[in-house]
Amino acid sequence: MNGLFSLYAPGDSVFHRLPVGWKYLIMFAATFVGLLLRNPWVSLGVLAAVTLALTACGVGLRHALGLPPAVWLTAGFLLAYQIAVGAWATGVVVACNLVGALYASRILTATTPGPVLVDALVAAARPLRFVGADPERIGLAVMLMARSLPMMWDAFGQVRDAARARGRERNYFALVAPVVVRAVGYAQATGEALMARGLGERRSR
Amino acid sequence: MKKTSGAIDLALIAVFAAFVAACAMISIPMPFGVPITLQTLGVLLTGLVLGPWRGFLSVVLYLLVGFAGLPVFAGGTGGLGVLSGMSVGYLLAFPFASLAAGALAIWFVRAGFKVRYAWLTVAAAVGSFAVIDLAGIFGMMVVGQTDFVTAFGYNLPFVLGDAVKVFAASAIAVAVNKAFPVLLAARKPAAA
Repeated sequence: MNGLFSLYAPGDSVFHRLPVGWKYLIMFAATFVGLLLRNPWVSLGVLAAVTLALTACGVGLRHALGLPPAVWLTAGFLLAYQIAVGAWATGVVVACNLVGALYASRILTATTPGPVLVDALVAAARPLRFVGADPERIGLAVMLMARSLPMMWDAFGQVRDAARARGRERNYFALVAPVVVRAVGYAQATGEALMARGLGERRSR
Repeated sequence: MKKTSGAIDLALIAVFAAFVAACAMISIPMPFGVPITLQTLGVLLTGLVLGPWRGFLSVVLYLLVGFAGLPVFAGGTGGLGVLSGMSVGYLLAFPFASLAAGALAIWFVRAGFKVRYAWLTVAAAVGSFAVIDLAGIFGMMVVGQTDFVTAFGYNLPFVLGDAVKVFAASAIAVAVNKAFPVLLAARKPAAA
């Protein structure tokens, strides 16, 4: 769960020490206030606030505020398009929401280790018991998925190495079929291991 | 007839959610500039291989884990930020694309249609174009506050890659269904 599948940067800022639930609350609030109110000043304010908060995380400016060029391009294009059709306020809302929501998410992802995020999701599934779902199965599925991430990534790497040895690494789609077969096999083995431990079965009988 | 158990269903759902995430990490440079990832290929395959319900739940799990903040979406992003991004329509359509492709695939297979590759291609195409692209265009209209024609234009550069992925998904699904016929096999109604 480290390296590839985590955006976590260690540190000791306020946000690193804040319980994960509060960080989710901040992310939800910052994302949806801009989306729902559609007011340019609100969206600008949210963007300014999350930018400040992110810089305060102390994870390095590039890690905190850097975005792929495509995002800046999209934001700039949307702003320019709306100004061109005479709706500057919409342009500001759309562009600020786009960048602001990404930054709001990053406050969470940059300051929280991957396993903590997984635990939070498992905990969030618990109230679903009241609508008839089985939170234990959901939690088990989340943890199993997180565990399988590096395994699936390795499977792609191994299949690619095997293809490279035969000079066929350029055909990406030829890489996928063996990975899917491995995924089914791995899932069946995992399912049998769960059954042997009496886990993962539907409870209603 | 052999029905898979709840535990194996659960493991299939979880492992294929991870498979979709791994697919999203693989980026292929394209001759026309816009690089494509295997994300939608993973989504379609999950439906074609696991069938509609496990496929749907698997992709829902993938989205949930991504919304919770793990960087499993294309480009290594995660968190709710994607909900205000231009790709929100595509993302939210993924479970339904998997559902549609899986439902059609299982229907074609159970109805005993020959030339399985051709019919799985139809199932994948419906998931890709009728579900993902349409929802994606609608998402761009809402997020970008643009009209249908403009959003349709944004979607065009991806259509070629999508078509390639549709053909690839059905070819791979045929191979995998041969290896594990129980997943999508022409099941008879439960005998008990």
